[in-house]
Formats: sequence, structure tokens, C-alpha cells
Amino acid sequence: MKTRARKKALHAGACASALALCPSLAFASEEEAEGGISAILPDMLEFVPMLVAFIILWIILAKFGWPMFAGMLEKRENTIREALKQSEDAKIESERVLAEYKKQLADAKAEATKVVAEARETGEAVRQSIQDKAQAEAQDMIAKARTTIEAEKKAAMAELQASIADTSVDVAAKLIGNDLTEGEHRAIIERYVKEAGSFNGN
Amino acid sequence: MATDRLVLHGKVNVYANTMFDAANDAGGADEVVAVRNQMAQLRHLIYADMDLSLALNDASYTPVQRYDLAKAVFADCEVALRETLAVMAEQGDVSLLGQVYHAYEEVMADKLKLVVVDVTTVVPLDDKLRELIGKKAEAELGCNAMLNEGIDESILGGIIMSVNGMRIDASVLSQLNRARYVLKETDGGDSQ
Repeated sequence: MKTRARKKALHAGACASALALCPSLAFASEEEAEGGISAILPDMLEFVPMLVAFIILWIILAKFGWPMFAGMLEKRENTIREALKQSEDAKIESERVLAEYKKQLADAKAEATKVVAEARETGEAVRQSIQDKAQAEAQDMIAKARTTIEAEKKAAMAELQASIADTSVDVAAKLIGNDLTEGEHRAIIERYVKEAGSFNGN
Repeated sequence: MATDRLVLHGKVNVYANTMFDAANDAGGADEVVAVRNQMAQLRHLIYADMDLSLALNDASYTPVQRYDLAKAVFADCEVALRETLAVMAEQGDVSLLGQVYHAYEEVMADKLKLVVVDVTTVVPLDDKLRELIGKKAEAELGCNAMLNEGIDESILGGIIMSVNGMRIDASVLSQLNRARYVLKETDGGDSQ
């Protein structure tokens, strides 16, 4: 950058020198012509000092001004380049962060979907469990009720049976006690004695 | 404890043998059987009458008082039984009467080869039944059998025979009770 700026400065200086020399040729033509052209041509007495001053100024500027200017331009260029680079980095970073956010968002969505699915499964399992438990309890209650009914039925049957047995036996006892004659009693005794077991085994 | 049981057993045997010898000396087998029958009745009487049982064993009475009390209470009993019971009351051993009764029966079977079969029926036995029951008892027990007949209408019919603590209950009452039990316990085929 410095070299190019310096070349530009030299090129500008050469142009200025050519322009400075051109008036001298013009002055010669004007002197020869002694016409109105001299009106627009500079006075050499003024021109030369001005040219010298210009050259001195040009040298000073080329020596001090242009490097400073070039330095400022270079600094500005660097600043802009750095800013562009930072901007590019920021863009890349932002794109990366955006991608990361998008990925996180996708993960979060997937996680949320998974959680919802799990919650739905859990809810379904709980519902099924409650339903099964309720059914089991209902079955248990029905079984207990059946058992109770069966037991009460058996108890009632047993009570009825006992009552019938007592009545039957009482009736039989009264019939036997009232209706048997002594001969029949003796016949029963004889049969029982013959059929009875032994003293040792009874 | 073993010593106590032996002492007790010895006392019971002494009472039973003494009573048997006294009865046998007084009237032979008939007296022995009479004493045995009275003792069977007194055994139930004493067990059933708590006041009498407590009085005969009351330690606040002197032995002589208990002796006199027993003689007075059992004045109508056979002499051998009355005197033995009086001595037992004097010694405070009336509670052993049940064991003495069984020991007495064993002594009878041992010394006289005689057993008394208590027979309970609703109607009096005739000779045919007496012979039948006697032969059955003699065949099974290997001793002469004497029947002690009793009437109890509550058995409804049939016969109850008992001897030396062994018992055959062939009464109608027990048969009906057995039938009652079977009728009550049978589920009537409704168990399935």
C-alpha cells in the first residue's frame, strides 16, 4: 500500500513538473508574439518563486504529508478490514449460535414430544392400573359377597336341617315311647344285645 | 408325686379290700353285690350333692365328727359300706369313693370271679333276656356275671350295659341321637 501511494505521489509530482515547464514554452511564444497571450501568461519573476515554493511544498508534502495520509488511509483500511472481519466472524458466530439454538430447539421439541409421549404412556398405565385395581376390587367384593351369601345359605340350610332333624327325632322318640309294647321293647333289646359290640371294643 | 399316687392307690386298695372282706364275711356274694350296688348309688349321690360332699370332707369338723356324720347319713346302708365310708370320712378320703368303687369291682372279679353288669332298660327283663345278657357278659369277660337291673324310660328303648367302667350303649335314645347328629351334619348333597 505504501509503495502504491508513493508511486501515485511521484506520478502527481511529474505531472506538476510538466505543467510547470509548459508555461516557459508558452512564455517564449508570447514574447515572440508580443500579443494578448502575454496577458494570461505568468510573470516569470513571480512564477519561478511560486514554482520553487510549490516544489518545496510538494517535497514537504511528499516527505511528510503523504506518508501520514497514507498511514491514515492504511489505518482506516485496516480498521475497516478488521471491522469487516469482525463482522464476518460475528456473522459466522451468529450463524453458529443460530444453528445451535435451532438444534437445541429441535432437541427441546423432541424432548418435549418424548415427555408428552411418556406422560401419555404413564397416564395410560395409571388409568389401566386403576381400572384393573377397581375391577379386581369389584371381583373381590363380588367373591366375598358370594362367599357370605353361600355361608349364610349354608347356615340357614344347616339350621333348617337341624330343626328338621330335631323335629323328626323328637317325633320318632314320641312314637317309639308311646307305641311300642313291652314285647316289642324286649324284641328290640334282644336284637340289640345280639348285634351290640363287645365291652372291650365299644 | 409318684409317691403320692402310690400312697393314694394303696389307700384305695385298703378301703376296697376291707369293704369286700367285710361284706363277704357277712353275707357272701349276695352281700358283696349288694354293697357294690349301694356304693354305685352313693357315688352318684355324693357327687350330685355338693353340701354332703363338702360336709364329709370339711376340715373344720373333727375326724370323729365326720365319722359320726357319715354313720348317721349312711345308717340305712349295708354295714360294711357304712363302716368303710365312716372311716373314709374320718380320714378325709370320701373323695376317693369313685376309685374305691372301681377297685372293689376289681377285687370282686379277682376273688369271686364275679362281675356285676348294670343293665338299664325301659321294660323289665325276662328270663330269656337275662340269660342272653349274662352269657354275653360271661363270654366276653371270662367271669360269672350278675345283672344289676334298672329301669329308665328316658332311654326310650333298647339297652345300656356297663361293667367295670366299660359300657355298651344300645339304647334307642343314643341311636336317635346318632341319627340326629348324622342328619344335622349331612349337607344333603348340596356341597357342590
